[in-house]
This record gives sequence, C-alpha cells and structure tokens, in this order.
Amino acid sequence: MGKPTHLSEADIAEFGRELDAVRDEVMNDVGERDARYIHNILATQRYSEVVGRAMLMAGFLPPAWLSGVGLLSLSKILENMEIGHNVMHGQWDWMNDPALDSGTYEWDNTCPSDQWKHSHNYVHHTFTNIVDLDRDLGYSVLRMSEDQAWEPRFLVQPGIALTLAAFFQWGVALHDLEWERIGKDKSWSEVGTQARGIWGKVRNQLFKDYVAFPLLAGPMAPFVISGNFAANFNRNIWSFMIIFCGHFTDEVEMFDVEETRDEARGQWYLRQLLGSSNLDGSVPFHILSGHLSYQIEHHLFPDMPSHRYREIAPRVQAICERYGLNYNTGPLSKQFGGVVKRILRMSLPHRRKGNTLADESSVDAPVYAEAA
Amino acid sequence: MKPVVKKLLGSPLVGALTSPLSVDDYLALIDRRLSLREPRGRVSAVARQTPDSVTLTIEPNDNWTGHRPGQHLLLGVDLDGVRHSRCFSIVSAPGDPLIEVTVKRNGDGRVSNFLVDHAERGQLIYLSPAEGDFCPGPSVPESALLISAGSGITPVMGVLRDWLARDLVQDVVFVHYARSATDMIYAAELAALDARHPGLRVETVYTAEGGGRIDAAALDARVPDLAERETWLCGPAGFMDAAEPLVRARSNRPLHREQFAATRREAAHGEGAVQFVKSDIAASGENGSLLEVAEGAGLKPAYGCRMGICHACKCRVSEGTVRDLRTNRVRDVRDTDLQLCIHAAAGDVAVEL
Ligand SMILES: Cc1cc2nc3c(=O)[nH]c(=O)nc-3n(C[C@H](O)[C@H](O)[C@H](O)COP(=O)(O)OP(=O)(O)OC[C@H]3O[C@@H](n4cnc5c(N)ncnc54)[C@H](O)[C@@H]3O)c2cc1C
Ligand code: FES
Repeated sequence: MGKPTHLSEADIAEFGRELDAVRDEVMNDVGERDARYIHNILATQRYSEVVGRAMLMAGFLPPAWLSGVGLLSLSKILENMEIGHNVMHGQWDWMNDPALDSGTYEWDNTCPSDQWKHSHNYVHHTFTNIVDLDRDLGYSVLRMSEDQAWEPRFLVQPGIALTLAAFFQWGVALHDLEWERIGKDKSWSEVGTQARGIWGKVRNQLFKDYVAFPLLAGPMAPFVISGNFAANFNRNIWSFMIIFCGHFTDEVEMFDVEETRDEARGQWYLRQLLGSSNLDGSVPFHILSGHLSYQIEHHLFPDMPSHRYREIAPRVQAICERYGLNYNTGPLSKQFGGVVKRILRMSLPHRRKGNTLADESSVDAPVYAEAA
Repeated sequence: MKPVVKKLLGSPLVGALTSPLSVDDYLALIDRRLSLREPRGRVSAVARQTPDSVTLTIEPNDNWTGHRPGQHLLLGVDLDGVRHSRCFSIVSAPGDPLIEVTVKRNGDGRVSNFLVDHAERGQLIYLSPAEGDFCPGPSVPESALLISAGSGITPVMGVLRDWLARDLVQDVVFVHYARSATDMIYAAELAALDARHPGLRVETVYTAEGGGRIDAAALDARVPDLAERETWLCGPAGFMDAAEPLVRARSNRPLHREQFAATRREAAHGEGAVQFVKSDIAASGENGSLLEVAEGAGLKPAYGCRMGICHACKCRVSEGTVRDLRTNRVRDVRDTDLQLCIHAAAGDVAVEL
C-alpha cells in the first residue's frame, strides 16, 4: 500500500513544484469568466427549484410530477454538489461576495456547514485515505481497506452501504459527531452542541419539504410530499455514488500514519493524487457531480473554482504520466463497479499477508509498480 | 418594493420556504438591486464635469435609510468578478431621494478609474449605510467657513446643499482650491449659487494657474473675520496638514474635518512573523499594516478606505499580538475579527487568509 518507490525525494519535490505552477497560473487568472460561470449555475439552480416546485403543485398529472421531481432533483444536486460543497471550500471567496462566502454559506443539507467544514475540509482533505485518521474511509460504518481490522459486523456491510446510499445526507449529518470518540476524548456537552446544530438543520429541511410546501399545495399536498421525498432520495443516491467513486475505486491507494508523517508539499500532492479517482463524462455530468468527477484535481487544489478542474485535468494527467504515476480515471460504470467490488470484498475477513506487493496482485495493484 | 410585499417576503413562513438560502437569493432572479435588508442601488444618471471625474446619481432601493449632510458611504462594484468597495462622500442633500457622488480618478486606483471611464446608467452598485460626523447636528451657525481642496469639495458641497435646501444660509464663505479651472468639479454650480445667494461668497483658487497654495496671508485676506466662523475642512492630507493649524490659530469656534486618506503615521511597521493560515504563507510582520503585509505576500484581501473606517478589510485573526496603528496600543487577540489596515503585528500573528 501507499506511496510509490520509484521516485526520489527530489523527484517528488519537483512534481510538487510543477503542480504549484499549475495552481498559481489558474489562481492568478480567476476573474469575470469564473464569476459568470457561478452566476449561471446559481440562476440555473434557483430557476429549476422554482419551476420544479411549481410543477409538483400540479403533480396529479404524471408528466408534471415527473418533470417536477426531475427539476427539483437537479436543483438540489446543483446546490449541494456544485454550489454548497465548493463554496464551503472557499472556491469563490476571492469574489468578496457575501452570498458566496465560505465562512457563512449554509447549504441545503441536514449537516450544518460548520460541522461539514470540520469533518470534510479539515479531517478528510488533510488526512485523505490515511487509515484510522481519514474518517471518510468507510464513514466508520464500512470497512474499505484491508488495513482496517475486520469485525463480524462488516459481513452485513453491503446492506449497510445500500442504506447509507438511500439516506446519505443523514449519514453526513451524523458523521462529525464522531461517535467512536464520545465519552473518550470528546465530551457529551460538545456532542450536545453539535446535535442541536444538526437538529436545527433537520427541522428546517423537514418543515420546508414536508410541511410548508405541502400546505401551500393544499389538495396537491400528497404529490408535493412524494415529489420532495423523491428529489431528496435522488440526491442521496447521486451524491453517494459520486463521492464513493472519489476514493474507493479499485486502484485507489490507502496509506498508513507512519508513511505520511512530516509530509512535504510534494508528498502531500502525491498522496492526494493516489488516494483519489476521477470519472470520465460529459460537461453536464461533471457539473452535476460538482466537478468531483475531477476528484484528483479537487484534492490537489480544493479551493480552485471547480469548473477550472476540467481545463487543467489534461495538464495534471500529463504531469502524472511523466512521473510514471497512475492517474486513476474511468467511466462511472467502471469506477462504481470497482467501489461495489471493494465493499463486497472488504465485508469478508480477507487480510493481506505481510506487506509485500506480490500478495495484492489482484487487489489494489498499483500501476506505478509497472512504470517503475 | 411595496411595504406589504416586503413584509410578506420578510415573514418567517417565506423565510422557511427559502431556507437555508435567503429570500434575496431568489429576488436576484428578478433584479439584483432587490433585497430585503441590504441597501443597493442603480446608477440613474452619469455626468462628467471634468476629464478626470464622474458624477453619479444613484437610485437606492428602500433599504437605504438616508444620510446626514457631509456623510460618506461605501460604494461596491464588481470588477472582473471581484467585489470592491470604496468610500465616497455624499454630495446630495439629505432631502434628495437620489444619492449623488463625484468620483475623481485616484492615480491608477482600480475603482475610481473604472467609474470615471466606464460608469454607465443602469449599473448595479452595492451601498453601505451612511457614516461619518462631518456635521454633528442639524443646526447651522450664523457665520461659517467652508474650505476644501481637490476632490475634498464633495462633503463640503453636501453640507452647503443641505443648508441651501433648508434656506438657512446667512453668512457663508466657501474657499476652494483646485489645480485649474478645467479640473474643478462643481465649478458651474458654485458660480451660479454665488450669484444667486447674497449670504454666500465663493472664492476659488487655481493653484496651477498662479493662485498659490494656502498660507496665512492669503487666508487673512480672503477671510478676515475667521475668528467668528465655524469651519468645515476637507482635502488631501497635505492640504489638511497645512490648513488646520492656520484655522485653529485664528478661530476658537468648532472645526469639522473630513479626511480622505490617513495621515502618514510614524511607525507603520510591525514586528514578528505573520502566518497566513489558509494560504499557508509566512511573512515578516515588519512591512507595514497587516493589510500591506498580506498584499506584499501576494494575497489579495478585500479593502476599502485603508484607514480604519469602512471595515471592508475585516479578517479573522486566530491568535497573535497586534498593535492598533491609530493608538499604538498593543494587545493579544484570539479568534477576533480585526481591520487589517489599521493593525500591525507586534509579535507573531496568525491571520485566516
Ligand atoms: C471618508 C472618505 C470620503 C471620500 N470621498 C471621496 C469623494 O467624494 N470623491 C472621491 O473621488 N474620493 C473620495 N474618497 C477617496 C476615495 O475613497 C479613494 O480615492 C478611493 O479609495 C480610490 O479607490 P481606487 O480603487 O480608485 O484606488 P485604490 O486601488 O484603492 O488605490 C488608492 C491609491 O493607491 C494607489 N495604489 C494602488 N495600488 C497600489 C500599489 N500596489 N502600490 C502603490 N500604490 C498603489 C493608487 O494609485 C491610488 O492612488 C474618500 C475617502 C474617504 C476615506
Ligand atoms: S480598509 Fe476600511 S477599515 Fe480597513
């Protein structure tokens, strides 16, 4: 597992400098074009929500209900993936627009943005794919790496994964409570404060989607309730798929704490690269994924305006090629297939013997081993 | 927006329907000037009195709560995708429903150059509430001296317009210093007012056309009865530094001043190391205010007045020891929002930029 051996420390430092240069070039160039992009996304998200909710009010007509669900799903997906997630990363802070400020933006998700920024921006983006540190590795309910000890509960993890997919935003909401720490180095009062934050978000979303809009709809309430439920469900499934494809595909690497101690910038980049995987697809697909289809670029440069990932991806890929590093990408079907395989495989008490590469020939075979 | 519509949109129910976004986020689909709380406006007229200035008339939305004469506000414009806010004095009288400002080109400054060259009707402008104490109260003295230089004419003009609108001008002398006749904003308006109002005497000095800079002799000649006058003064820092002692030496009556730029402070440098946490950059704290240190390190923090009045440069300091450049007071802070332009490092400081 872990980092490649064919690169010297100087190589890795140079690799880091090349990536820094890409980053600097883009960050010095952000401006009008980027502002126009995000304003178009914001307008699309809001129009599709308004029209979608209006159509659900005529939901007794099946075509209206279906298009209502489609538009509202689109809106909810855009809001969480391309807007909320990216705004909270500070991708649009340079605009000085209070409505797009990472410090204050609140997204349409049962997870409060401050808790998200801790569990995601800090814990996950800093300790990406380090076993025992990155709490996104299986979200403490799934076993996603051989290096996580097997327990009998993992036998049912395919079922748990399905449930998590259906209720993904609720899993995200509870994630930062860090239940494994409660009563140890995390006090109940801290948990209580967090729980109150979550309850505030839960209450607002439930009230909006299942009380207020149904009330407005009068006799159409059942169609509005079912439509809103369907849109939330669709978003859960979609974000689960995209996010799991980001770090749990077949070829993705996991790391242990030891090998990541005192990482220099280049080594950090290297881990982000090897711990992430991309999805190929069309421009609309990338936008709907919040450009997390460019998970590699996102993990290298989390605060770069997302649509720029599309532009720099060929350059990042070329740099990786020159250094003989695996740039893990593929269509959704292939990558998600790898995720499913991993979930199934890890549910069984398979454990790598020793730490030699030979033993993992079928699993996690890193491409750089050949390139070396 | 009609009050009843605004009340409805501001109700908790509509708030719940838009949560966690705001009603403003949806109003923006119709018109970005619309907002439940934020003052915003549109440019309704553009006039260019001189080659290097532009006079904007701005129609504010109903969140604008008005102003007192001589106050200023922050005008925000989006340039190349970035919101920039700068201070400008309000020239229009408080009774006027429209806001008038005149912007003079300031070197190669971003906002002033953009507005002078490209401002046009219909442009969206973000506003702040009016601020400032140039005119502490509504009363008008029996005799007054208004004295300004360059673009410093704007707040003084605002004060004069208010008095005229309320018909309270009894004995006002207005001395204005401009580089040349072609450079002078509000020249035509002042000349007309001078001719029409017996209680108003306007003296214009063109410094580049032999008028001479302000000095004791000239002031005594132009305003022999200065001792009885209450004074309003505004102009560039150098002009203020020269004019203020002259006026104070001649009159004990109140002197009101409005300043466009900070006077050069003695020790604008800091000490210690500044860590910019988000961008992971370290810099020496020696080179000026935290704002200047950040800019020197290649960061682009937001700013407005650069002198501690607009709060545009406010930024969270996670911890450190800072010196307030206005008072020289040193203090330890932790997780505090500070105005970067008027604080320097007085030890190690971690700034969330
Ligand atoms: C209370 C108050 C009221 C005011 N009222 C008015 C008014 O009514 N009318 C008016 O015209 N002005 C007024 N001003 C002044 C006005 O706010 C400034 O002129 C304005 O900030 C100019 O903004 P800018 O973006 O054009 O310049 P900025 O970009 O902020 O630059 C300001 C100055 O610094 C220089 N500069 C910029 N960047 C650098 C750099 N990297 N290195 C060195 N120098 C640099 C510029 O050339 C310029 O001279 C007022 C100011 C205050 C505080
Ligand atoms: S820039 Fe105005 S307070 Fe600092």
